[in-house]
Amino acid sequence: MSILEVKKLNKSFGGLVAIHDFDMSVEKGEIVGLIGPNGAGKTTLFNMVACFYSPDSGRVIFQGKNLAGMKPYHVCALGIARTFQVTKPFVNNTVLENVMVGAFSRTAHSHEARKKALEILEFLEFQEHKDVLGNELTPADHKRLELARALATQPRLLLLDETMAGLNPSEKPHLLELLRRVRDQGITLLVVEHDMKAVMTLCERIVMLHRGEKLVEGTPQRVANDQQAIAAYLGEEYATT
Amino acid sequence: MMEKKENGKMARKKIPLSGWAAGAVLALFLIVPLFIHNPYLLHIFVLVFLFAYLGTAWSLVGMAGQLSLGHAALIGIGGYVSTLMFMEWGVTPWLGMIVGGILCGIIGVIIGYPTFRLRGPYFALTTIAFAEILRIYVENTEEGPLGIPLRGGMGLLVPLKGDAPGVFQFSTKEPYYYIALLMMLAAIGLSFFINRWRMGYYLAAIRSDQDAAEALAINSTKYKLIAMAISCVLTALGGTFYAQYFRYINPERAMGLSMSIEIALVGVVGGWQTVLGPTIGSILLSPSGELVRAYLGGTYAGLHLCLYGLLLMVVILFLPNGINGPLIRALKRLEAKMWGPKMIEKVTAPETAKEDKP
Repeated sequence: MSILEVKKLNKSFGGLVAIHDFDMSVEKGEIVGLIGPNGAGKTTLFNMVACFYSPDSGRVIFQGKNLAGMKPYHVCALGIARTFQVTKPFVNNTVLENVMVGAFSRTAHSHEARKKALEILEFLEFQEHKDVLGNELTPADHKRLELARALATQPRLLLLDETMAGLNPSEKPHLLELLRRVRDQGITLLVVEHDMKAVMTLCERIVMLHRGEKLVEGTPQRVANDQQAIAAYLGEEYATT
Repeated sequence: MMEKKENGKMARKKIPLSGWAAGAVLALFLIVPLFIHNPYLLHIFVLVFLFAYLGTAWSLVGMAGQLSLGHAALIGIGGYVSTLMFMEWGVTPWLGMIVGGILCGIIGVIIGYPTFRLRGPYFALTTIAFAEILRIYVENTEEGPLGIPLRGGMGLLVPLKGDAPGVFQFSTKEPYYYIALLMMLAAIGLSFFINRWRMGYYLAAIRSDQDAAEALAINSTKYKLIAMAISCVLTALGGTFYAQYFRYINPERAMGLSMSIEIALVGVVGGWQTVLGPTIGSILLSPSGELVRAYLGGTYAGLHLCLYGLLLMVVILFLPNGINGPLIRALKRLEAKMWGPKMIEKVTAPETAKEDKP
């Protein structure tokens, strides 16, 4: 059974059609990549799955449940966690406190939340930063904090919005390895990514969006060789990285 | 190895200098009436405690990132409810206090429910509007609905019963002194625990970034409403104390904008969004305001307001998060100097760092 199904989704902002008649499904345990040029509608799609926006029409179904009318906090409680493209750390709190906020979604007790948060930090090899304030982290660590916080909510489906952006080349393989380990824990990943190398090595399936519609879907090889996809954007971008 | 792992715990057990300072101030407050008998000086202490209490209650909404500029309305409602119940039905203000508290909790939720969904200044504007509408209504209403004798701008006089603890009346200052101190400590205690519970983490998350908070399963409206309700209940209880202490309550003073601003000022100057900030703010502001009013009020009317304004400008320019944070950091530096470099490591421990979270 698909963990996530998106059916006939539409969303426009004023006259701009951001997502048009979009269908896709994600199977349990998959790592699915969502790619497309800037403005293709990737983040809009994310925002609808995470219920930050409500679609104009169409449905988002998570584990058989229609998410229509739900709020982001309902969706998170159901098991969908997300990270933000522009990271949103709680700047005046330490890393540990940031992650504890996520862990509190499954427990009301501070000591349990602290324990869970420390587990996550250890898993992400981030524990030495636990007492650093959110506004004192490097951009790469902000990304890791977003991931840690999302994981602390113990999701079934993790939506990652451009986690690789802003990382230097030496940091990327490490994060990819971490993401694979996340998947090995039984968490399904849906990733929006501009870094083609990362997408190609990480994802098992790729969906390419163009002007709010699905252009191509398939294995990384298939998408990489698709003439339409290359024409739309992959060609130059992939050649340069 | 042990030492590194136990670092956080040790910092908790080892009381920091700021903790000792707070303890010393508290001990001083407890024994002040033993050697100060001057009613006017005791009155100043009562004001310090009352405004520390009100500021702490107010700052609970601040912890959710919301600015209320209408908390005076809750003092007015709390004071009026308990006083009217006493005047009309002979119900003791101790009971009327609870009725006023519950009523204000409900009012807080009614104000917060529509406005917490909006972002921006709408909550602050709504609180001002609510307090001002209430004040103008009461000032111009001799007899409210159901024949409630509001007495308009004249206000209400609490019927005097002499030294009667059963109806919250005492002939000396000392009982009021200790009641106010107890209320202040209770509010600080509540704020302290809320900060350490899930609720405190959630409020910090909401004021830092509401979208990120919602993505982490936090129903931000719900938690803001809980904070607002607690804050309103506490403020209403303070209103009853106000009425019983002054034996008089009127709309201009108890519901007016200047009262709302005084409460907010105590919080902002001390450090709103921190546990001890409003108390420090009140210790600084209440006596100076009172003394200036007493000694210079006759010659230069309104001077205390100018001083308040000046102080507010200085604080916002140089200490935008209040005096609390820099004060604690200064104490920590002093501590590090006193006990040598060994302490520095513990100074940055998370438990103590949380204290000055702006």
